[in-house]
Amino acid sequence: MDKEFLEQGLNHNRRKFLSRLSLGVGSVALGSLLIPDLFSGKKEAEESLMRALPHFAPKAKRIIYLFQNGAPSQLETFDYKPQLIKSFGQELPESIRMGQRLTGMTAGQDSFPLVGSYFDFNQYGESRAWISSLFPHISSVVDDLCIIKSMHTEAINHDPALTFFQTGAQVGNRPSMGSWLSYGLGSENENLPAFCVLLSRGKGNGQGVYSKLWSSGFLDARHQGVQFSSSEDPVLYLSDAEGVDKNQRRRMLDQLAAMNELSYQEFNDPQITTKVQQYEMAFRMQTAVPEITDVSKEPDAVVKLYGPDCLVPGTYAANCLLARKLSENGVRFVQLYHQGWDTHDNLPNQMIGQAKDVDQASAALITDLKQRGLLDETLVIWGGEFGRTNYCQGKIAPENYGRDHHPRAFSIFMAGGGVKSGMVYGETDDFGYNIQENPVHVHDFQATVMHLMGIDHEKLIYKHLGRRYRLTYVHGKVVSDLIA
Amino acid sequence: MKPKILLENLLIFWCGLTAILLVGGENLQLPTWLQVVGRLHPLLLHFPIVLLLLGASLLWIRDENRMRYFTWLLLIGANLAGATVVAGLFLATEDYSGDAISWHKWTAISSQGVAVALYFLRDRAITILRSLSLSLSALLVLAGHFGAALTHGEDFLLAPLKSASEQPLSIAEAEVFRDLVQPIFESKCVACHQEGKIKGELRLDLLTGIQKGGKSGALFVAGKPELSLLIQRIHLPLEEEEHMPPKNKLQLTEEELEILSLWVSSGGGFDQKVMDLPQEDPLFQLVSARFSAKKSYTFSAADQDDIADLTTFFRKVRPIFPGSPALEVAYYGSSSFDAKSLAELNVVRDQVVKLNLNRMPLQEVDLSLLADFQNLESLSLNFTSVSGAQLKSLINLPKLEILAISGNTLNEEGIKALAEMPQLKRLYLWQTGLKEQQKKELEKVLPTTRLDFGYEGNGVIYPLNPPKIKFESTLFEGKTEVSLSHPIRSTEIRYTLDGSLPDSVSSAVYKDPIVLSASTPIRARAFAAGWIGSADTKELLIKKGITPSAFNLVTPPNPKYAAKGATSLFDGVKAKANHTTGDWLGFSESPLDITLTLGSVQPKLLEVSFLLHEGAYIFPPQSLEVWIGNKGVWKKVNSLPQANSTKIEEARFGLVSIPLPAGTMDQIRLKAQPIAKLPSWHPGAGAKGWIFVDEILVH
Repeated sequence: MDKEFLEQGLNHNRRKFLSRLSLGVGSVALGSLLIPDLFSGKKEAEESLMRALPHFAPKAKRIIYLFQNGAPSQLETFDYKPQLIKSFGQELPESIRMGQRLTGMTAGQDSFPLVGSYFDFNQYGESRAWISSLFPHISSVVDDLCIIKSMHTEAINHDPALTFFQTGAQVGNRPSMGSWLSYGLGSENENLPAFCVLLSRGKGNGQGVYSKLWSSGFLDARHQGVQFSSSEDPVLYLSDAEGVDKNQRRRMLDQLAAMNELSYQEFNDPQITTKVQQYEMAFRMQTAVPEITDVSKEPDAVVKLYGPDCLVPGTYAANCLLARKLSENGVRFVQLYHQGWDTHDNLPNQMIGQAKDVDQASAALITDLKQRGLLDETLVIWGGEFGRTNYCQGKIAPENYGRDHHPRAFSIFMAGGGVKSGMVYGETDDFGYNIQENPVHVHDFQATVMHLMGIDHEKLIYKHLGRRYRLTYVHGKVVSDLIA
Repeated sequence: MKPKILLENLLIFWCGLTAILLVGGENLQLPTWLQVVGRLHPLLLHFPIVLLLLGASLLWIRDENRMRYFTWLLLIGANLAGATVVAGLFLATEDYSGDAISWHKWTAISSQGVAVALYFLRDRAITILRSLSLSLSALLVLAGHFGAALTHGEDFLLAPLKSASEQPLSIAEAEVFRDLVQPIFESKCVACHQEGKIKGELRLDLLTGIQKGGKSGALFVAGKPELSLLIQRIHLPLEEEEHMPPKNKLQLTEEELEILSLWVSSGGGFDQKVMDLPQEDPLFQLVSARFSAKKSYTFSAADQDDIADLTTFFRKVRPIFPGSPALEVAYYGSSSFDAKSLAELNVVRDQVVKLNLNRMPLQEVDLSLLADFQNLESLSLNFTSVSGAQLKSLINLPKLEILAISGNTLNEEGIKALAEMPQLKRLYLWQTGLKEQQKKELEKVLPTTRLDFGYEGNGVIYPLNPPKIKFESTLFEGKTEVSLSHPIRSTEIRYTLDGSLPDSVSSAVYKDPIVLSASTPIRARAFAAGWIGSADTKELLIKKGITPSAFNLVTPPNPKYAAKGATSLFDGVKAKANHTTGDWLGFSESPLDITLTLGSVQPKLLEVSFLLHEGAYIFPPQSLEVWIGNKGVWKKVNSLPQANSTKIEEARFGLVSIPLPAGTMDQIRLKAQPIAKLPSWHPGAGAKGWIFVDEILVH
């Protein structure tokens, strides 16, 4: 009897449960109507997202990123702080520092004396932006620039900060920005890699760059950056071996592809397909690259624009010129690195040298793109991985001082590609230490760059080892004020 | 009195009051406290709606007690309906007029009447009650809807449905007033300034109303925001009575304030297009991001298969945006281009809006087919050798806005063709060889086109980079060819073969590769008009000698720089310009003193290849002596004082040539003495110098 009673009770409860559930199910069903992706297979949804790239009409088609590796000081370039000159030698107030952690290089210093810019500042162009005397050429194109004085980052040392800028994470192994764009948008010109990397080095104190910065991470290897050589032959081993003509090369590749196909059928390793595609691209690069790298086709005016250094392979100027040629030929993302900005001591001298390397060529690139009608669709980005402290590292003198790493505020600029021109965005306090208005985090910057390329940074996702990744992790807000 | 009786009496009271107000409303003079009562209308109205609808719905429920509840709900509801109507009639004396208000008034009064009737007829047959209650519900809904339209503006209810289906407007079509200013009026102002509720005698729902202004005067003074009532009122502090919109209404955002001010200061026009604003205009900068950069196109999409067929590695055809019918086409790889590949585009001529032919060889290509590309908006022809005659094909492209022809020399014909394209917005003319006069002319005939002449570098003078010297190897056998080159095409390269510095006047001009048959120093410089002559590049090419049958180093080299001993001097391998490579023999304490035993050959020339690098204390030998021997009899032939370095220079090669006299010899002895004391100008003045030798050549 007890048993039946129990069953009756259970049945009753079950009926009640089910009848309640029916309403519950109804509400869930309604909910799912309002949130279409709730129950749909995520993978399919992601795939259809991918097919629809770009997500909206892009303003920029290509990017040239002039990375100033080592972190150029914002206080000697774009962030004019007369207060620091007045307060020369005075202690950095604790109310300004607010417990900011320091690097091991200055943490042991007894005092943190403020030091102002050795270089004069002036206002230029219609925008009346302040730029230091280090950059006479850049100041001449100031009305094409969108200067952001309120960048901030999370890392305080070069490698993590650089990795963070390029991949959205401070540790390695994530895809670089160029790889994400290659993955998302593909190549414009399939005879060239979508993502190219060019290195140069100034005489200033340098910091290394490593290939992890242009790695494709967990994305297919064909999205990784292709590093060009800084020798006279930017791409090595492109010419056919002696005695091998084009047709023989073609037949060899066809045979190789057939064998690789067999191997693919056996092992199903996607890297095999990638390899075949890479061989094919290299074959097409055999004609495409020499056409592009031939400097002799450039008019004299171009050499005068970039400066005669642009004829010396491996210099920043030569890389800027090469970047323009690659970009003009449909390379989605050209990443330059110019090393030597890490000015812990002897800052004025080092910066004079570095500025001499980059000033003319950076401005030239903008002018050159403009006179070909390409600036509107090419986004040029110039900047380092963080800023430098407003106090002196080591010995202090008005004409000789050093600055340590400073992640809380620094300046970069962008030009073309759908950003507002003649704009100065964001402001720091009188000490140039903290951001006062319109902060732009590295993830915001990345989201904005993706937006300009027609990508919703929240939707360009790749699932790897059970987790979904994107360039901006779970952060990032498009800074629409910067967009024209 | 029982409450029920009281409430029933009150019902009649409301009906009477309503009737009176309807008859005499025109002349109503309200004391201020009653105005407050009137303004309670928006609060009160919710109660009768709820109670009456609830009561009406009871008639469909089978429950023995329903009539009890029905009676009370109807009684209270109808009373509140009466109060609401009266308050509404008070409120209507404020600035309301027009169709919506009268519809609202009459549907509301009818609701009140039907509710009262329903209450008193509550004992009648259920069918009568039901039909009455249906009409009551309908009236309530209508009255409520018209009322909401008065408060929130017309279309409030369905607006989300409409806007969701609307595409974001393309910036090309956007107008300042229609798409920026009017929407602000509509969302924030028109609720109180429109037909039906014309507060301050100002109507913002009509163009004429906006132009006319209201009770206090004109709405705005074109170009003078500070004198414009509109701008003054919206910028007043929130507490001010005159502040618009009123404190309790939805306020303007910062951006909307800005837009209205900028609109007035720009003249307050009604048909300005956003795209016609200059790019640096603050209004343009503020609002351009709100519109989609994508244009909407009316033509139909091209066939997917056609697009796929046209796409090759060298010709990319794709929609400008996923789903757009408009196509952009880019050509890559000038060596893969032929005229046919352009002609093939004809299939999609109606869809192509953007065409990039940069660097394709177009000199002989017929461009007349482009005249059919009626939707083409942007055409890039940089560095294509396109001629003026070819440009004529582009005259009749109505939508062409961007034309880039940088890098093509333009003749008069070309300039004439361009003059007939006034619709162009941007024209890129860098490196087109135009004279100042021609540039001015073009600017005059194309007043609305932005011309970009680019950077020509006029007046900028830089030194040229030195030319490059190319050859097979420093040490050559017999003859060798040397070629000189410079990356700038217009340069002239001049060279010397005697070690002197080339100049721009008398030195030989390089044309064809130079053939050398003896050891030679080559120096070359580049010159060009508009440039400073380059520094020189130099190379020393050395002809290989014969290997002596035996050699003997009298004094050994410094053990640190011994290479492979004397053999290294005759191995025919030129060492690199660095004394630590292990290919150089270095002498400091002792001289280089070597005896060569010859075979049957009778040499005419002896050459010694040195390294020179003052910074590393490596100098030319202080003295160099040569003897020839014949069967044990030695004869000194030469004694050359050397050591002519005067400053520190980079590491480089030096070659000393010693002609040998005619006559029989079977041995040669060479003695080279390192500099004993470095000269006074050297940082290591007084120290012993070094000599480094890598090859000795017997010719």
